[in-house]
Amino acid sequence: MAWIWESTVIAMVAFGVLYWLLNKYAFGPLFDVMEKRRQLVLEQMNTAENSRKAADQQMEEQKLALQQARKEAYEIIEQSRTTSSKQAEEIVQTAKSEASRLKDDALKDIESEKNKAIAALRTEVGGISVKIASKIIEKQVDEKSQEQLVGQYLKEVGNK
Amino acid sequence: MHEFPVMPLGPFNIDLSTLIAIVVSVIVTFLIAKLAVRNLSVDNPSKMQNFMEWVVEFVHSFIASTMPLNRVKPFLSLGLTLIMFIFVSNLLGLPFGIVTEPHHAIPSLGVTEEMIAEHKELAWWKSPTADISVTAGLALIVFVIIHFLGLKQNRKHYVKHYFHPFPIFFPVNLLETIAKPVTLALRLFANIFAGEVLIATILMMGWYGTPFLVAWQGFSLFVGGIQAFLFTILTMVYISQAAIHEEEH
Repeated sequence: MAWIWESTVIAMVAFGVLYWLLNKYAFGPLFDVMEKRRQLVLEQMNTAENSRKAADQQMEEQKLALQQARKEAYEIIEQSRTTSSKQAEEIVQTAKSEASRLKDDALKDIESEKNKAIAALRTEVGGISVKIASKIIEKQVDEKSQEQLVGQYLKEVGNK
Repeated sequence: MHEFPVMPLGPFNIDLSTLIAIVVSVIVTFLIAKLAVRNLSVDNPSKMQNFMEWVVEFVHSFIASTMPLNRVKPFLSLGLTLIMFIFVSNLLGLPFGIVTEPHHAIPSLGVTEEMIAEHKELAWWKSPTADISVTAGLALIVFVIIHFLGLKQNRKHYVKHYFHPFPIFFPVNLLETIAKPVTLALRLFANIFAGEVLIATILMMGWYGTPFLVAWQGFSLFVGGIQAFLFTILTMVYISQAAIHEEEH
């Protein structure tokens, strides 16, 4: 095997050309893409972390909101309970007063009816007694008193 | 053994088989990489993209094992190119060979009358890394990068390390500096060349050699991967030694 220095030069030139070609057309783009992949992975991890944090925060907020809602609901129930009992009392009260008013009215009505009835009875009794009296008087007054009356009238007329 | 077609071109001698092998390796490597990044997608990567990203992660992690993590980035492309090119190169010679036997002298391919007389054959297909000239070229590139980066980014300590721990050690350190690329080149070349030699030897056994051939090709696949990995990681270690100075040391 002989040393051929031209081969050495050719090898060096070829290696240089290959290095340049690979750098320009293969490794350059490959390194770029690998760097981008690294960035992408990093970004995705960051995004995941962020969204996890956001989810946690939202969870917390929702818990708070839930608690708030529960409290409000309890308050509303409590309020409605008091309102309803108050209302019930009011209704009972109203009913009671209404009932007593009605009773009073009824009593008054009864009283006035009674009075009316008494008054009517009185007039009736009056009328009846007058009739009875007139009947009795009719019978007693008859001829004698009539003559007396006529005689009285005639006297009076003669005096004039 | 085979001879290789060497074409004289003016003052130069071009080894055609090496040239073919290098060009094919470069094209195959580039096509693999280009196909892998054909449909890049950020949120829905294809299988090829996943594979390519695995390669990148793998190279990134073993470069990071030799130097601080924040210094890895500029060397990632270099490491990837080295490991892919060397791996493809190592495997190129494994599946088949193209051998021709010239019957008369062809001066334009370096074929002489003596070779015809010895019935030498011409091999047209091999791993480019089975040629010491090619591995030397790769090692030379690494050598230049190491010392350029050492001088540029870490001048004080780079110069100081030649005289470490005492000035008297300068020759030793110099020897080490030279030995690094030489061993890089020789290790890669020797492993791959030995593999191809053994394949050629097994082929001489004829049909009986088939199970050995299969076993050896499988092993060569493994060796090819290991050698590509070794070359790359040693390059990174050398760069780290020369160019990156940590304050703790």
